[in-house]
Amino acid sequence: MEEMRFIELTTNSAYENMAIDEAIMRGIRDGKSPPTLRLYRWKPSAVSIGTFQGMNDEVDIAFCRERGIDYIRRITGGGAVYHDYDGEVTYSIILPGGHRLAHHDIIESYKVICGGIEKALDILGIEAQFKPINDIVAGGKKISGNAQTRRHSCVLQHGTTLLDLDVHLMFSILKVPEEKISDKMVADVKERVTSVRDVLKRNVSIEELAAALQQGFAQALDVELRSGKLTDEEQQAARSLAADKYSTDEWNFSR
Amino acid sequence: MKKADYKVSGGKMIRVKLDVRKRRIETIRILGDFFLHPEETINEIERALLKAPIDRDSLVVRIEAAIRKNNAVLIGAQPDDIAIAILMADGSV
Repeated sequence: MEEMRFIELTTNSAYENMAIDEAIMRGIRDGKSPPTLRLYRWKPSAVSIGTFQGMNDEVDIAFCRERGIDYIRRITGGGAVYHDYDGEVTYSIILPGGHRLAHHDIIESYKVICGGIEKALDILGIEAQFKPINDIVAGGKKISGNAQTRRHSCVLQHGTTLLDLDVHLMFSILKVPEEKISDKMVADVKERVTSVRDVLKRNVSIEELAAALQQGFAQALDVELRSGKLTDEEQQAARSLAADKYSTDEWNFSR
Repeated sequence: MKKADYKVSGGKMIRVKLDVRKRRIETIRILGDFFLHPEETINEIERALLKAPIDRDSLVVRIEAAIRKNNAVLIGAQPDDIAIAILMADGSV
């Protein structure tokens, strides 16, 4: 069976997480890194925005600073996501262009890779479906959001699967006019977004979700996940990218 | 600075911020949660729109040309949606 490097659940800062994803892409571009799946958490909790979004438009920076929540611009498009340390697991998959799982058609490739999350949720007992462009829904409500970029001759897709959801905190972090944070609006979000714990009505742990994601990706993508580590070169590249790009205002406030 | 948000039906959100002078675009920023590959094409699109007349067809022609030139793919919105957002920001629709 085809092998894929698997970097098991690690906890990093927002800057490190985004830097590692890009470092792996560069490694693959240079023929030095293998196709890779990684799982990760964010500490401190952080909000990531899509590459075309305005930081000050989307994020209440003062609130984040006060609460020690990091904020970062991704290299991928899509919307703002709050990555709560205890409330979600993020994955990324990085493939060389032309890989059988990196379909040329972008929506098709979302569908193929999101199959791993559908399967993971199925393992947990949740029936979920890919919903184009880039969501996975359970019972019609969004439970996972995903985003993709194609550069450095690679396809990178990363995404979040919600374990828990604090709508009030989310509204405090994301810029929603205060008068709109009514009970009605909170109720509206609960109609559109759900989480693993919401659906299963039990206290699923981060580790259980991570294990399901590992198994789900292996099965859906038909790969053998081989536990591995970042190479020294990747670690070095990630350190530079974190320091010189992802932690800078120049990058994070470029729009 | 004029501003408008336009939610594409079945697609993504486009936010346009612009300054207009003598019915032409003086500065423009296109923001939102859409996808555009390669991402750098957004700079080309914004550049192509400078000095463009606020006219739906002319805007679409310029946006399409920038996308074609970069062999880019826009997902979650069409060039016409960006044009509509520009007209909305200007207050002409």
